[in-house]
Amino acid sequence: MEQKKKKSALPVYILTGVFLAVLCTALSAAVLAVPYDKVRSYLNIVFMDQMKLDPSTGTNGLVIIENEDIPTEKPSEGLADEGDIIRPAFGEQYAVLQCDAISLSVPVYWGSSAELLERGACQSSSSKVIGEVGNVVIDAHVNTFFADLSQMKTGDEVVLYTEYGVFTYQVTEQVTFENTDKTYVLPTEEDRLTLYTCEAQVLGTSSMRLGVLCELVSKAFYQTGEVQE
Amino acid sequence: MKLKHYIPSVILTVLLVFALVGTTGVLLVQHVLLNADTFATVTEEQALADKAYASLESYFKARENSTGIPKEVFLDAIDKEALQEGIAGSTKQAFDYLHGRSDSFALTMDFTEMEASVRAFFEDYADTNGYAKDEIYEQKIADVTAGAEDKILFTVDTFKFSVMYQNGWLQKAKPYMKYLSPAAVGCVVVTLLLLLMLVLLHRKQGAHLCYWAGLAALIAGLLLLAPCVYVTATDYFSGFVIKDPQIFAAVLGCLDLFTHRAMTAAVVMTVLGVVLLVLFGVLLHLQKPEPDTK
Repeated sequence: MEQKKKKSALPVYILTGVFLAVLCTALSAAVLAVPYDKVRSYLNIVFMDQMKLDPSTGTNGLVIIENEDIPTEKPSEGLADEGDIIRPAFGEQYAVLQCDAISLSVPVYWGSSAELLERGACQSSSSKVIGEVGNVVIDAHVNTFFADLSQMKTGDEVVLYTEYGVFTYQVTEQVTFENTDKTYVLPTEEDRLTLYTCEAQVLGTSSMRLGVLCELVSKAFYQTGEVQE
Repeated sequence: MKLKHYIPSVILTVLLVFALVGTTGVLLVQHVLLNADTFATVTEEQALADKAYASLESYFKARENSTGIPKEVFLDAIDKEALQEGIAGSTKQAFDYLHGRSDSFALTMDFTEMEASVRAFFEDYADTNGYAKDEIYEQKIADVTAGAEDKILFTVDTFKFSVMYQNGWLQKAKPYMKYLSPAAVGCVVVTLLLLLMLVLLHRKQGAHLCYWAGLAALIAGLLLLAPCVYVTATDYFSGFVIKDPQIFAAVLGCLDLFTHRAMTAAVVMTVLGVVLLVLFGVLLHLQKPEPDTK
């Protein structure tokens, strides 16, 4: 009889434990539901980055992709008026900008940061990818790659080489604007290339920007499989 | 177990669970999250001064391209020790303000050496290139110095206390700081009282005391453990959007340390609960069965 009673008490102890665990969990959920709902949107913003990093790495999450395979010569054949544009990743070098008039040849990176500006010219990720209709905005430091940008004249040819095509522009206008003036970097209806840099200044930084506006003269897409060969 | 003991025990256990969770939470906030030592530990463990220096080096190197002022003009006048002191200073000032030892929060560092370095560079440049030392010249020195000082102060404020102060968050938190210790004491007292009531209720049945106390500790431990395991398993905090290395490391260092301490407390409580439940089983096995279980 004693053995039987001992056995019959065990489920009560177990069920009581389970019941209490469920009850406390439910109570906790009920109590925390309202405050969690209030902070959820903030948490989603603050911890939204999918690129998980170990804090000990000491990096800022920027992955720079160098690309030395971009051809910088215009092929005479195998080109088409239309083709596929390859959207680059942030930090990826996806073009080479050349202007023979000022002996300029500089890699173009998608996105802008101090690290990328060290390596070449940067294209604002809010502007159009080269080949798309609209404003392609590229900038670089005046003391490095765009030192001679102010020497560009109307009519000078500027070529952008990518892995998917060659895009030729012609300088139409030189402009000067305040760094707060977004007139020339905003999206446009027509095909345009905007190159700009800081105004060179002895010691210190200028708030003025110097730029050139270029119109698209020709675009030539590589036919599939042409470029890598 | 008698029914007249069962229902009060259930109620006391539920209350004890939340008392344990509350006590642990308040003690963790008081001794880990709002403790200057935590920030000092994170500063050292995450080598924040090194990261801040690397960040400044990168910044002044980038600025060199647009200003023509070599990065050494700034970097030779500051070192990692100075940045370490700056980070420690920002933490101290923030906690002095929070604990009412000062009326405002203002981040400061000694920039005498850097100001002299900037002026020496400008003087040398002006003398070499025949640059006029007029008002514009003096203004340029002032602008460059002020810009560099702002950047350095921003960089050493790895825990972003100045941002919290500017947004009024420290001001909002300050009045509650004085309630933290009474809250901790209150939670401990409530926990002990509930435990005492359980002891009194089961003074003739030590085994049952172990059961209810063990259950409370186990459930409280698991309730605390669940979110800790979730944030650790999903690497939740690593999704922090600010990727400036020194800020990223500072914030994640604090959150990871807090999670680790909370998890340790939760594991201790869970293990204690399991031990008490095992003890209950052993004691029950050794005792004679109750004659009138209802």
